[in-house]
Amino acid sequence: MEQAQAITEKVELLEERLRTLNKVMTTKAAIAQTPKELVWTLNKAKLYRYIPVVPMEERHGIPLLLVFALMNRPYILDLRPGHSFVEFLVSRGFDVYLLDWGVPGPEDKHLKFDDYALDYLPRAIRKVKSISGTEEFSMLGWCIGAILTTIYASVLPNDGLRNLILLTAPLDFGNKPDITFARWTDEKYFDVEKVLAAFGNMPGDMIDYGAKALKPVENYIGNYVKLWDNLDNPQIVEAWHAMNTWVTDNIPLAGGVFRQLIVDLYQNNRLIKGEMNVRGQRVDLGKLQANLLTVIAEGDHITPPCQSEAILSRVASRDKEIFRVSGGHIGIMAGSGAHKRTWPHIDEWLGARSSQKADSGN
Amino acid sequence: MAEGQAGGSKPFDPLESFRGLRDIYLDTMAKAMVEAVNTESYAKASGAMLDTTLTMSAPLRDGLEKSMLQVLEQLSLPSRQDIVALAERFTNLEMCLDDMDAKLDRILGLSHPAQQGVPDETVDEPVARTTPTAKASPTRTVTAKQVSSRKPAAPPRKTAPSKKAARKNAK
Repeated sequence: MEQAQAITEKVELLEERLRTLNKVMTTKAAIAQTPKELVWTLNKAKLYRYIPVVPMEERHGIPLLLVFALMNRPYILDLRPGHSFVEFLVSRGFDVYLLDWGVPGPEDKHLKFDDYALDYLPRAIRKVKSISGTEEFSMLGWCIGAILTTIYASVLPNDGLRNLILLTAPLDFGNKPDITFARWTDEKYFDVEKVLAAFGNMPGDMIDYGAKALKPVENYIGNYVKLWDNLDNPQIVEAWHAMNTWVTDNIPLAGGVFRQLIVDLYQNNRLIKGEMNVRGQRVDLGKLQANLLTVIAEGDHITPPCQSEAILSRVASRDKEIFRVSGGHIGIMAGSGAHKRTWPHIDEWLGARSSQKADSGN
Repeated sequence: MAEGQAGGSKPFDPLESFRGLRDIYLDTMAKAMVEAVNTESYAKASGAMLDTTLTMSAPLRDGLEKSMLQVLEQLSLPSRQDIVALAERFTNLEMCLDDMDAKLDRILGLSHPAQQGVPDETVDEPVARTTPTAKASPTRTVTAKQVSSRKPAAPPRKTAPSKKAARKNAK
């Protein structure tokens, strides 16, 4: 009798688990919940301003613009209530803006770093300045967003950028044996023109496959095993659901940018060598003079630490720092430990450099 | 098993040992696969596979594109290229408008130096209703539904004229 009851309980537990599994695999989590307003648009790009929760007199004077990668949705920065970097920054008194690049269509296949860094970014920044009523601003670039912000800061060094934060920035492609993507996209094996002739833009699913194939067992098996083992833990399930919603929401990368990324950066390492040109102007990292914080994820397999270290010796910034965090490419900002390690350090570093008067090394 | 249950700790799970074995296997496989994908031979194989796929699918793609173009022409419908050209023109127009907006801001700044750097509008800023202190956790009194295309509110400057009024004066 007892055995029959035990079996019934097991079956009920299994049924409950399957119901939870079905829910998280087939629905989208409620994400990007921090209240915001759309303040500017251009083509597919949108600029949002997060609604402040701190009285004006207690806020930092210098606004912060968040620039995420082009081939992923930026709401990883505002994943879910209680686990949102944006929410954290707003609560710490920052005037936060987020640039969402949107989804490029066939008409955007010619867009290059040149266009994003010299057309879109300066216009969005002008709007940030106009709304916040200040000539200075801070910028945080993550992944490809870090490449864009670095190009911008080097080409337009006198545009009012006071603080630049680079997260897991792929800037140096010289150490090819340690960069798996560099190996895969070597010109001997990878024909970028053939790919772009077929697709126009680089499809989101192919980018997603590339990222997951770096750690195939973890991404294709381990991730789901972890979920199965924790189906009875609502907190883990909720976190997994939110992250899975973001991970599966892939967008294409504009063809022009993809070509530059592969040919100029992965194959020829032109940015760090000072040989990259945008609109005929050389991207001279020596002109970058904003206060600089580079955050490196020690366990990053997408952007290994060696890709983010060299920039500090190339820039003209007097106030510069490297901050190393244990974790992966996304985990350092959206993982369960981010609010204890990465976020407080960024808050502390940026807060000390964000008052209206010039108070820092620059 | 009996001891574990009697002690009130976690009940015996016959699958526990299986899980342990599974985790060891996955860890080993994960390390092996990370090493495997970071080799020249993997790069070469994956490059060859992609190249073959693209080469083989190219005639199909070309044929499909040509026949689609013919169908659209016969139906007097715009082709993808026409739509793309139109979208590009819209973006150029948007950029022109954005440039004009920037110039207008600059003119306003010059004609009203005191207003330079003053935000777009002069309505009260939508600070969350239950205003917390700087260090407090955020209060969700405003819902995400408030995302809209209306102009952003700005810090309160009750004495300054609104941007609309300033533009009117500038004329």
